[in-house]
Amino acid sequence: MTNCPACGAPLETPVACGACGAVHDVPDAATPFELFGLAPRFALDERELRRMSTRHARLVHPDFHAASEPPVRARAERNSARLNLAFDVLSDAARRADWLVVHQGGPTEESERAMPQAFLMEVLEWNELLEEARAADVVDPRIDPLATELAARRQAALARVATLLEPLPARGSPQLAAARRELNALRYLDRALREIESLRLARAERR
Amino acid sequence: MGYVELNVLNNTIPASAPRVALGIDLGTTNSLAAIWRDGRPAVLRPDGRSGLVPSVIHFPESGPPIVGREARDHAIVDPRNTLFSIKRFMGRGLADVAQELSTLPYTATENERGLIQLQARGRRYAPEELSALILRKVHEVASTALGETAPTQCVVTVPAYFDDAQRQSTRDAARLAGLEVLRIVNEPTAASLAYGLDQRDKGNVAVFDLGGGTFDVTILTIEDGVFRVLATHGDTHLGGDDFDQRLANLAREALGAQHGEELTRDPAFQQAARQAAEHCKVELTHQPEADLHLMVPHKRIAWRRRVSRDEFEALTADLVERTIDSCRRALSDAKLTPDQIDEVVLVGGSTRMPVVRRRVAQYFGRNPHTELNPDEVVALGAAVQAHILMGGRRDMLLLDVTPLSLGLETMGGAVSKIIQRNSTIPCEATEGFTTYADDQTGIDFHIVQGEREMARDCRSLGRFKLKGIPPMPAGMPRVAVRFHIDADGVLTVSAKEHSTGASAHIEVAPMHGLTDTEVEGMLASGYSNAVDDFAARRVADLKTEIGTMVLATEKNLNAGRAGLDKESILDLEDALARAKAAALGVDVKELQSARDEFERATLPLAALLMNNVAQKALMGRSLGDV
Repeated sequence: MTNCPACGAPLETPVACGACGAVHDVPDAATPFELFGLAPRFALDERELRRMSTRHARLVHPDFHAASEPPVRARAERNSARLNLAFDVLSDAARRADWLVVHQGGPTEESERAMPQAFLMEVLEWNELLEEARAADVVDPRIDPLATELAARRQAALARVATLLEPLPARGSPQLAAARRELNALRYLDRALREIESLRLARAERR
Repeated sequence: MGYVELNVLNNTIPASAPRVALGIDLGTTNSLAAIWRDGRPAVLRPDGRSGLVPSVIHFPESGPPIVGREARDHAIVDPRNTLFSIKRFMGRGLADVAQELSTLPYTATENERGLIQLQARGRRYAPEELSALILRKVHEVASTALGETAPTQCVVTVPAYFDDAQRQSTRDAARLAGLEVLRIVNEPTAASLAYGLDQRDKGNVAVFDLGGGTFDVTILTIEDGVFRVLATHGDTHLGGDDFDQRLANLAREALGAQHGEELTRDPAFQQAARQAAEHCKVELTHQPEADLHLMVPHKRIAWRRRVSRDEFEALTADLVERTIDSCRRALSDAKLTPDQIDEVVLVGGSTRMPVVRRRVAQYFGRNPHTELNPDEVVALGAAVQAHILMGGRRDMLLLDVTPLSLGLETMGGAVSKIIQRNSTIPCEATEGFTTYADDQTGIDFHIVQGEREMARDCRSLGRFKLKGIPPMPAGMPRVAVRFHIDADGVLTVSAKEHSTGASAHIEVAPMHGLTDTEVEGMLASGYSNAVDDFAARRVADLKTEIGTMVLATEKNLNAGRAGLDKESILDLEDALARAKAAALGVDVKELQSARDEFERATLPLAALLMNNVAQKALMGRSLGDV
């Protein structure tokens, strides 16, 4: 991490200086990790990240720049938005993993659509159950256990992603493709869990 | 950084008059201003009155529009020229509000750009112009309460669920009123600030806000003075008015059957039914039974029906359940369950209804906060936010979210989301575009806001046009379009062409709401701003006062000359001349000081006259002879 061009103090984030309060211009290319002054890696203390994010927000949030000069205010507004976006990417394990895989030159969501082999059979089974639940008039009694199982699967898939990405594999490593497949499974699980949640909400709203 | 003078003796910052800004709750039914003073937010009440300005405007046959309490009294007598519930039309098109319009006594049309216009006294008004009139009245009331021109910098609140167009309209309305909006804040978030919930070090809060015309629920988490909004959900078509309508329907059905259907379409009848219903609803809050009592003099109708609270609650049960549906969805988005909520805060006059309190308490399994007046809590919170923005405190930080996803229409009419709902604001996204024909210099795209899959089911924020792309073979230009949602929740779009770096030439055409030209036109056409207004009235008042004093002095000076010393006479003549001169001008300060000076100089004469009066009275002569 570099030092503040205005006062020379070490910078925790490139967006602004915690010592002198100067708000800096940050290149468009700055990555989410760079905005938080972190080296790219999967393992990350999410609570500490949240603390950092509010610490940084206090430097650039528009609320604290209402009386600043227009160029400073504009920079603060922009930096604030970029920090928020970076926080969204970093604080969500799946999004963080997705970003790292692409960053290391691994396959994107579009270029690698496969899921882990063992997963596929189960997907067919779950889809069938979901299909029936969607068509049913009453809440399907199998839905709650299914949601529990899917949530457990999600945890397990994330744990595998963590092992694949920690330490961060080198560019070109087959582990990146393996991680991508796990992420594809994760996306399926998230979609299924969201659908179950919306089925539940819709049932609750039916009168 | 502001300039701060340090007192070297005791190393403290001198308590110079801090700059303050107003917090304004611009409501569907009532509006209100509050300000930070003596270390806490306070509602601005002129002469101990409530300070609440009914959001109603009456256009009399001649003279300027009447706003507030007085306007509300005209609603029954002249329903076509009395506009209310204006907030429901802010930033909307005619199609969005068809349902509301069917129950309102005044008419609305659409202009050539699809913007709604309300009609009164043969003129059409944009909702922004009308809201500006209300804001001016609020500012005037605030000035009266403060005894001086109130600050023009302000924080204005909007329902959390307001979309981009509705927020922009609110901003435009304030601009038309001559106010400078420091920040648009979401009402529920403001309410949580008013409750001082930052005092607790950690916890989850649900703010349940049922106003006159809108409902929303916001889930936020507080930790170390940071208020982070997790999720918000709501219904911009659900409010206290809907509860009134259910009661009004009772009258409509009964009287429609008796007197024919036309009666129920009569504007005076509609207005009478609405007011009777509101009155009955309010009574049912305090007692188990109330009368729905309706009079339409020119139709010779006087009708009365007893309504029990149970019956009212049965009539409106589905409305209450709709609010709980929103709570469930907000919690689902926040990934929390009702029992994880530590505090529930009620906002909006409609949360006074016992059925609402009961249902909310039942759903969250805890009694909601009701310590602060639900009609005032939002304005108070806005004043807290204004205080933060003026640099008053840095320990509190508000991180709000955008309530609706932002998306682009793709080929085939589907929506590709670029910013998810409940993203912390400010936020931004960048999307790449290119051309599909050689030498194409423009690209069109359509931005929508909403959660539905198809663009036609979402709220259109308009079609943007990128112009000025350098002529190149198809697919070569790389245009990066940046979508930025600011801390007010308002979208701005900017574009940059990467292959040539020609950012300056790419124009983004604006899309909805008032254009700058329109706003300026309105400003020019007599919608003078709040400060000018207040100053102008003060000038007029001072001139009248000076005029009265001049007359009285000139009348009595010759008679009094004999009894006054020479110095007093010279002094008085000087002051008289200065006051007369000042009365020709319009400078408030000059008028005020000339008046005060004049008053002081007349004191000896006044004392003399009083003395004469007393003596004459003692001699048995009547006061009228003096």
